Amino acid sequence: MQITAGTTSHRSIKQATKAIIRDVINNINGTPDFLLVAFTPNYQSKRDYEYALAKICEESGTRNVIGGIFPGVATSNGLPTTQGCSVMGFKGDEVQFQPPFDYTNVRINPKKGAQEIKNAYKVTNKLSKLGFFLTPGPFYQADAFEQLKVLDTFFAKKFKKMFNLIGRMINRNMGKNGYGSTLFADTILKTLVEDGIKNALGGATIDLDMKSCYQFSGDKVFQNALVGTIFSSDKLSFNNNWTFDKSQHSRNFFLTEFLKSSGYVQKINKKPANEAFLELIDISRDLYDEAFGKLSYASLLYLSALENEYEDYVPFVSVCHPILDGVIATVPEKSLNSNNIKADFFTQSGTGIQKSAFECANNLIQGLTDIRFGIFINCSNRLLIAGDKIDKENKLIEQAVGEDVPFITLYSGGEFSLINRKPIYSAVSIHGFVAGEPTINTKNVVF
Amino acid sequence: MSYTQGISSELEDLIFLEDVEASMLFRIDGNVVESCFNEKYSQELLRTVQWCKANVEKVSLEMRSNNLNKVTYELNDFCVLFFVVNSVTILTTLANQNVNLSLLSIEAKRKSQIIANYL
Repeated sequence: MQITAGTTSHRSIKQATKAIIRDVINNINGTPDFLLVAFTPNYQSKRDYEYALAKICEESGTRNVIGGIFPGVATSNGLPTTQGCSVMGFKGDEVQFQPPFDYTNVRINPKKGAQEIKNAYKVTNKLSKLGFFLTPGPFYQADAFEQLKVLDTFFAKKFKKMFNLIGRMINRNMGKNGYGSTLFADTILKTLVEDGIKNALGGATIDLDMKSCYQFSGDKVFQNALVGTIFSSDKLSFNNNWTFDKSQHSRNFFLTEFLKSSGYVQKINKKPANEAFLELIDISRDLYDEAFGKLSYASLLYLSALENEYEDYVPFVSVCHPILDGVIATVPEKSLNSNNIKADFFTQSGTGIQKSAFECANNLIQGLTDIRFGIFINCSNRLLIAGDKIDKENKLIEQAVGEDVPFITLYSGGEFSLINRKPIYSAVSIHGFVAGEPTINTKNVVF
Repeated sequence: MSYTQGISSELEDLIFLEDVEASMLFRIDGNVVESCFNEKYSQELLRTVQWCKANVEKVSLEMRSNNLNKVTYELNDFCVLFFVVNSVTILTTLANQNVNLSLLSIEAKRKSQIIANYL
């Protein structure tokens, strides 16, 4: 099986595309079976991405292409870039790829999006299979938070049922502009579990300035679509897993009042959530705004997590915006199932992030030998925390999966996995999968 | 592509990043090997460039003695990012204070390694 992976960077998308075709796609002998293409968001215009995709399809001779935009992209053999493109190309019989599917209205109708994954999954008859999909991530207009102010009113606290509905409407309305990834991601995973899908990996495309995000399928570029394929094989096994930096568990707190539908937390430890949150992380409003203002006020270093039925902790992002009394939390509705919910703080660090990437990759290779390739969906927040040390994380992944194993890392705006029917939607985490030959347990037999 | 064109193209890539105002390749004695500026540059920016030119030797000595690869300064409303390219050259990137330093440092590191291959 031929697998090529590479990263290129250039200020012009035309030059970046030309280089990636020359250095990566043309390394495949013949027409590739499948290409995973990831661009960074700095090129901005939809037309530019359409040009790049058309060129890639034309030069490679295949339309079996999926991808999207991510603030950072990296491959096993290159330094990460925030201004360029990474591609992974496949050709060979060991792994089959379903023709890419896309569904263009996933924010409004996530169940139908999940149906697309299910349909492709069901027609695959190989022993091992794994769904791989990319979705839109958060993007919204600068004044989007204004709409949430209504959830701070006396009535919102008193008439919870009605304001849950209003919260859902705001969430959906902002969702048209880009807010509300949690709402549709959770629905997709839930639907897939109900439909008996066992394994899947996904990530949300994102531009960190929240102005746009694009997904690719063939030579088409979408803004609000789910795109994906199914990897399947009789010979190889696929392992998928996830983790996050749990090394610095600082303290816990209670979500005491909230609106389920919108993930809007009104009170923490029975105090107005915004104020209580800043007290908990022990920094002033000014400092918080300076640190996180450019990142939509999402506290990235202070990660909150909930214990859930499948995993010990699943992390979520808390958005502490100065115009709101409450805190927006990317907690799925089904996790907000009692009146007093214990949450835990984990402080993220560069070293912890590197260690967790190694842990994730190391877990993935268990039970496998002769690893062929890997795909990692890594949170873009982790990219920001690590900065220029991010290449160390990829070195550790390489150390775990093997020196010559090609892999691609996409820095996303939300990570999703189904691991043996366990749905995981998390933030500031790393999810991944590797393909390899299953280890055969041999016993010493004495004749 | 000649090596000066190659270096110049890498420096130009950097100024296309959001909030980046200038990128320069300094020899540690303060001489400029190549440089690239945003079209609209201010007197303030030029003053900061002058500071870089005057201090690059001191900064590089400090970096070498403490085994540092990267140093960041905040000066005259600019962020100045020094990245070691090799033993005699330093990549210097000037950006306004709103810049996302994490993203910029990832790309500056990549560029410093590509430039090192040209030299």
